[in-house]
Amino acid sequence: MTENGSGQGQFQKREGSFEREPARRVFAGEFRDIRYQFKDSTDEKSPTFVLLPTGERCNRALAIGTLTEKQKQGDQNIFYRGRIVDPTGTFFVMAGSYQPEAMQQLARVEPPQFVAAIGKPSVYQTPDGSFLVSLRLESITVVDKDTRDEWVLDTAGHTLDRLDALGKTPDSLKAIEEYKPNPEMYRKMAYDALTQIRI
Amino acid sequence: MDFQETAERISHKITAKGQTADKQRIETKLRRLIDEFGVAPNEAERTVTNELMKELGIAPAQAGGSGGTEEKKIAGVMPGDWITFEGKVVALTSSPSPAISQSGIIADDSGAIRFVIWEKAKAPLLKIDTWYRIESAVVDEYKGIPNLKIHSGTLIKELESDASLMPAVLTVQDLKPGIASVRAKVIQEWEVTHERMLQSGLLGDETGTVKFIIWKEEGKAGLEPGAVYTIFYAQVDEFNGRLSLNLTSATCLPEESDIEVKSSETTITGSIVSIAPGSGLIKRCPVPGCNRALSRQNYCPVHEIQPEFNYDLRIKGWLDNGDRTWSILISRDAVESLTGMTLDQAKEIAENNPLGMDEVFLRMREMVTGRYYTCTGREIDGRILANSCSRVTFDPGRHAALLNRAGSVN
Repeated sequence: MTENGSGQGQFQKREGSFEREPARRVFAGEFRDIRYQFKDSTDEKSPTFVLLPTGERCNRALAIGTLTEKQKQGDQNIFYRGRIVDPTGTFFVMAGSYQPEAMQQLARVEPPQFVAAIGKPSVYQTPDGSFLVSLRLESITVVDKDTRDEWVLDTAGHTLDRLDALGKTPDSLKAIEEYKPNPEMYRKMAYDALTQIRI
Repeated sequence: MDFQETAERISHKITAKGQTADKQRIETKLRRLIDEFGVAPNEAERTVTNELMKELGIAPAQAGGSGGTEEKKIAGVMPGDWITFEGKVVALTSSPSPAISQSGIIADDSGAIRFVIWEKAKAPLLKIDTWYRIESAVVDEYKGIPNLKIHSGTLIKELESDASLMPAVLTVQDLKPGIASVRAKVIQEWEVTHERMLQSGLLGDETGTVKFIIWKEEGKAGLEPGAVYTIFYAQVDEFNGRLSLNLTSATCLPEESDIEVKSSETTITGSIVSIAPGSGLIKRCPVPGCNRALSRQNYCPVHEIQPEFNYDLRIKGWLDNGDRTWSILISRDAVESLTGMTLDQAKEIAENNPLGMDEVFLRMREMVTGRYYTCTGREIDGRILANSCSRVTFDPGRHAALLNRAGSVN
């Protein structure tokens, strides 16, 4: 393909109706269980999804909790890792030089703080066969406890919605096949999270 | 291509002549002409109409002379009809072309229609507020609106009548392309975007809202925002499936009473997951009617370098409820209440900081991103133009309901 031709192709792509992928609301306890990653088409630019065990595709997630730890790593390629804790577990987040804005935001936050993290989920398998699910940050900002509480309500609501739809959508049928999820476990996770915020 | 609408129109014309036609059959005929033979849709419509008329023994509309004309009321006319009627000239509009000697709106007690007198018709000019008997005029369609054409074969007789006309006033919801009268409130006034434009904005009544526009013309005054008007003989245009009212030649009478306007606004609650460059403190083009955002070098895409810009605040970003993301554009008032930063404070920050306007953007990004808001505004093509935004506050009732829902065992 000529340079000109490929340029035009990109232009047309941008002209098409672009729909931004929503940021899914998912608890750390479920996020940690993610194993299955997929693409809808073989096109290099098509988005990568992970499949949530409760049965929904996820290309982006919003996680709000307490940043408990952060660490700068690497010499040549600097990147930051952090841990964000919600009532059900821990999100592992990272931001590298490909996410300069988010990396600088994370560099400024001194834990512990309530933070809102938006990013792309990805699944790694370590050489010893265990899985690591992490959130590659697009943005991380300091928020207040009210926002954290609101997120717990929001995430509990979405988790329950997904459980209600389990077995009724193509994505959730795939999730049943891949994960054989126990709905009661995730329901209890949502319940426990709700009991941990103010009464 | 959709043949249903065209078939519907043709079937209407047939029904209007007291006959019936099978819509399925009309569609088949249309499809054959357009898909198989590449006939232009309007030509196909004409062909099929004529074919059916002939088949059903209906006199063709285009017959020369007065044989095909009918005594009719304006409300019932269709493009292609030759009609004879009595009506009153209720508006005259400036003629857009020397080929047209006069244009305006003529009404009877059933409705109103735009008329055009072509120069070559050599017809006498009509006077406003005068009744005429018009014989053998033809109805065609211009930009989707029925249009009465007065040609050299049309007979015009002035009538000795001063009967007053009370047009039927429609609700916004019932508007369709053509000429109509409505009673509505001016709920928004928008920036004029063209030098020939006098005013544009949004009108609303109990049933809905519609955009309006008034072009500059001698002696024409704009509408008062917040006031209620009865608007006689406005032109209803359709563009991209959306209606708008052209009030340039309409008569707008202010009213004392108020009306409850149906909200046309969308309200979305979610988290602002991203704010985009171009948010915060921005510069706008000072040329009247332009108001475009300028580049950092004060460049307006239309008016070039504008050193005497105006400052404004806005946030462009994404509001996300976990299932869907909306592009959102938050206007200055809402930005000020959302961030607690006024335009003046933002200017001060920009002037006293090495990062300038970027500092305002960065501060707003930290303040807003990840938090929950309820935003209200008009939704256009998936983008919400928010004029109010409020923080979501903790709702104990919702908390309790979720606990019940999660705790119940199915």
